[in-house]
Amino acid sequence: MIAEMSNRAASIGRVLRCAVVAGLLAGGLSAGEVTYEQLLDPPPENWLTYGRTYDSQRHSPLDQITKENVSQLAPAWIFPMPGARRLESVPIVVDGVMYVSQPNEIYALDARAGRQIWKWRREPARQRGNNRGVAVLGNLVYVSTPDAHLVALDARTGSMVWESEIASSEDGYWSPAAPFAIDGRIIAGNAAGDYGLNGWLDAFDATTGERLWRFYTIPRPGEPGNETWAGDSWKTGGGATWLSGSFDPELNLLYWGIGNPAPDFDGEPRRGDNLYTESVVALDADSGKLRWYFQFTPHDLHDWDSVEIPILVDAPYKGRLRKLLVHADRNGFYYVLDRETGEFLEGVPFIDKLNWASGLTETGRPIRVPGVEPTLQGNFVCPSTSGATNWMSPAYNPATNWFYLAVKEGCGVSYKSKQEFRPGGFSYAATGYIESPRFPWQMFVRALDLTTGERKWEYRQVNSRHYGAGLVSTATGLIFAGDDQGFFTALDAVTGDPLWHFNTGTRISASPISYAVKGRQYLAVCSGVNVVTFALPAGPEAD
Amino acid sequence: MTWCRRGLGILVSVVLLLGLPSLAWGAENPLGSGAEVIAEGHALFNKLCTVCHGVDGAPGDRGPAMAAQRRYLRQTDTELFQAIQEGIPDSEMPPMGLPEDDAWRIVAWIRSLRAKAIDVPADGDIQQGSNIFWGKGECGRCHVISGRGGLLGPDLTNLGAQMSLNRIQEAMTVEKPHPPLGYRPVTVTTKGGRTISGVSKNEHNFSLQMIGDDDRLYLFSSEEIDKIVYGEKSLMPTDYDRRLSESEFRDLLAFLSRLSLRRRESSSVEPNQTP
Repeated sequence: MIAEMSNRAASIGRVLRCAVVAGLLAGGLSAGEVTYEQLLDPPPENWLTYGRTYDSQRHSPLDQITKENVSQLAPAWIFPMPGARRLESVPIVVDGVMYVSQPNEIYALDARAGRQIWKWRREPARQRGNNRGVAVLGNLVYVSTPDAHLVALDARTGSMVWESEIASSEDGYWSPAAPFAIDGRIIAGNAAGDYGLNGWLDAFDATTGERLWRFYTIPRPGEPGNETWAGDSWKTGGGATWLSGSFDPELNLLYWGIGNPAPDFDGEPRRGDNLYTESVVALDADSGKLRWYFQFTPHDLHDWDSVEIPILVDAPYKGRLRKLLVHADRNGFYYVLDRETGEFLEGVPFIDKLNWASGLTETGRPIRVPGVEPTLQGNFVCPSTSGATNWMSPAYNPATNWFYLAVKEGCGVSYKSKQEFRPGGFSYAATGYIESPRFPWQMFVRALDLTTGERKWEYRQVNSRHYGAGLVSTATGLIFAGDDQGFFTALDAVTGDPLWHFNTGTRISASPISYAVKGRQYLAVCSGVNVVTFALPAGPEAD
Repeated sequence: MTWCRRGLGILVSVVLLLGLPSLAWGAENPLGSGAEVIAEGHALFNKLCTVCHGVDGAPGDRGPAMAAQRRYLRQTDTELFQAIQEGIPDSEMPPMGLPEDDAWRIVAWIRSLRAKAIDVPADGDIQQGSNIFWGKGECGRCHVISGRGGLLGPDLTNLGAQMSLNRIQEAMTVEKPHPPLGYRPVTVTTKGGRTISGVSKNEHNFSLQMIGDDDRLYLFSSEEIDKIVYGEKSLMPTDYDRRLSESEFRDLLAFLSRLSLRRRESSSVEPNQTP
């Protein structure tokens, strides 16, 4: 039987190849491979990387859903992820196939029908942290795991092709970030700095899983920056890489945000600036060598991981076209940097309640306000440790030249104590914080001028007092946002006015995407335990 | 540390596994779980127990089969040993009172029936079995091992740790009444006149997702489909005991039974090699 089938397969295969070559595909979809060229310039209908494009602008060129018709937007399908808790995954869509993840699991779904094609589950399924998505390249889907491995699966079947260790799970590491695919390489990070575990960024060969380079986020003795750690404190310095990054293919530089130093709230044992925690680093994509860095919060005492996604924009700055990197930090400041050199250009607060620094120096270093450091009795600080923004992705619209982000206004009380490092994956925070009862947090969506940080508008998410959701911008001047009350809302990118909303019923903590299949545009977002998609009422599909 | 790279990964892990001492499932048995002990237990069972149980562990007139697709009440070596020696209250199973070593030999054999293939891998030439898998047997046309092979059939990378040797053997020799879920043969004719054959991964009233014979993934909505024809039988051939010689079949089983992802640390290999 197998011989007969093979003959049939061969003849059908020939017919198919002819059909594809002749462009005769009539009806149905055939999912294809993802090339590096496609990652460089993604087809409008696909969402191929965490931020859609390497510059992480999260701006979809799709234009079917407009300000005029968005009021007709309706759910297309809902896929509940079995056993899920709170999904933070950003779906990836390739030619009508959606790949969406939760810790230890990936589902491949028909992106039109919401039906499962395959499911992969890692066994034994260690439970640690979140999972924020997958990467795709060639015929493979890549995911990092709660036991700190990078796994490559066949995109058509979910069969595992290889796996490589990123870090030792026995030491307490896991890996929550979406891997990042560039030309023949997959970049992967790890967590957790809060355990005093030093972080790094790895590049793996996309085909074999062989590790090509590693960048240690905490410099070792003899390396520049190690002197910013008192004594041996660098050994347990933290600096996790728990979110994805951005890439400039022309400069061949990867840009990655680095997490907090440890112990989080007690700075005494680690006097110094504690490089490269709370920094963005620019790494040569071929070698992993550090080209430049910029530290947002030297000697951080509030666990303000600077992992927030950097957005890359080429835009005029003071009359000259510059290659910019913009970043809204958890510490409450919005930064504009030159991404060729790391030069600090601008920095302004994007929150109203900010009390830990009175401003930034000419080089971007914060001017500290005394009396907000964590103490045994607790000290009042704004923003709180949960930050002025967090893992939820910002977006950029080239038409408005504005930067859009989820913002948290709120303060906290931070405490510190003495704690000894304990190997094996235990908290090394040296106590923690509470949200201030006097100034409970409040979520907003805000639009900032790209180069000045001037606030253009804000949309208050009433009663939203938890981490918010990320954003997606569209070519038709819409911003889609979720919130912790479960509402998925379309905002006018120019005015901030709400134009449409839908109550998904569960907290949205992930960042949305937009994609199209056969000419029909969709929005998709993970909400609670569900993947929820929206589209305009079905019309005739394009072939 | 990178592992599980293509075929050589399997081969190296096989070699490493062969060098390991008796495996955990026989840990309670003072005689271990070696091939000789199992063979002796098999002979003893057929000699002493087939008054009630069937020969070779099949269902008997008064006693159940020794290995079947069900949950076992007696899972451990010690529980089985006690059942043999002391009988099972409120049943027809009498106390056998055998010399202890003989009882342990029978325990070893029963456990081997229930073990996964990797625990009691078949004897044979593994390299030759690999050659048959990728060559004469044409298994690799439909099955994938560590990223190499066809996509119509199940991934066999971890087969030895998932199925017993008996079930692997059955899959290659006994025809199933229905194709398993996710592997139903299907031929779709679109309204545009194209015909695509393969296996259905998922289907309902409004959409169908399938892997084509060309190993591509196809997604259809119902309005794009003109006709669906289902295959009645699984695409898996079940005549391997006839199309292969006895030694070839044994070698293929030796190869398949050792496909396992267990002992990950032991299977680190050079990338991109094939057996």
